[in-house]
Amino acid sequence: MLLFRGNDWYKSLSPEETQKVTDQWMAWFKRLTDQGKAVAGNPLEREGKIVSGKNRVVSDGPFAESKEAIGGYFLLDVGSLDEAVAIAQECPGLPFGAIVEVRPVAGECPLASELKREAEFATV
Amino acid sequence: MLLYRTDDWYNRLSHEELQKLMGQNKAWIEGLTAQGKVKPGRALERSGAIVSGKNGRFITDGPFAESKEAIGGYLVLDVETIDEAIAIAQSSPGLAYGGSIEVRPVAEECPLDVRARELAREEQLAMV
Repeated sequence: MLLFRGNDWYKSLSPEETQKVTDQWMAWFKRLTDQGKAVAGNPLEREGKIVSGKNRVVSDGPFAESKEAIGGYFLLDVGSLDEAVAIAQECPGLPFGAIVEVRPVAGECPLASELKREAEFATV
Repeated sequence: MLLYRTDDWYNRLSHEELQKLMGQNKAWIEGLTAQGKVKPGRALERSGAIVSGKNGRFITDGPFAESKEAIGGYLVLDVETIDEAIAIAQSSPGLAYGGSIEVRPVAEECPLDVRARELAREEQLAMV
């Protein structure tokens, strides 16, 4: 999965640059989809909410302009992390400061793996 | 879309707590699936890479360093309003133990596209 980090890098672009990056980004996603390498993807609205804690408190978030905030994602169907990294390197936003986080999708829930690890320890 | 923010809080749970939580989680997802409110979601491995810089020349081990910002998994919901998505996030069994969930509307339109239109309009106004 590619997570696109940063939601303020494009604010400093000229109209022409913005249009160009937008077109390149859409063409990039279309090509990956046609090649069967991207199976889903979405931009996210800039505003949202954060739900946290035992009391399930709702607060505003993510912070409006942040390098860490997630702006959107692609779900890829590729054989290796290296292939995913190579695709991430094609991201049209990179020259302007966008950051792409590449994360393998887990075969099983990390909670389940943790449980198994503990069970192994327990039987030793 | 629900993004699970994690600082690996589940490492602090006992075996029983973990087992109980997994059962609750499974039932929770099955309930939402039966109601047609959720599309398949996935957990993410704790490893990964960060690509940045012109032409992606910087590759560092990821996920993102700030653990509070790290994403542990996601769920794509199929609901009409953000309030409904928030209510679903609030019913997540894991919240009782720590971590938080970011609730984000999926954009109808790419924000870059919206920005390009805004800029074009500003330019037009400037020419008048």
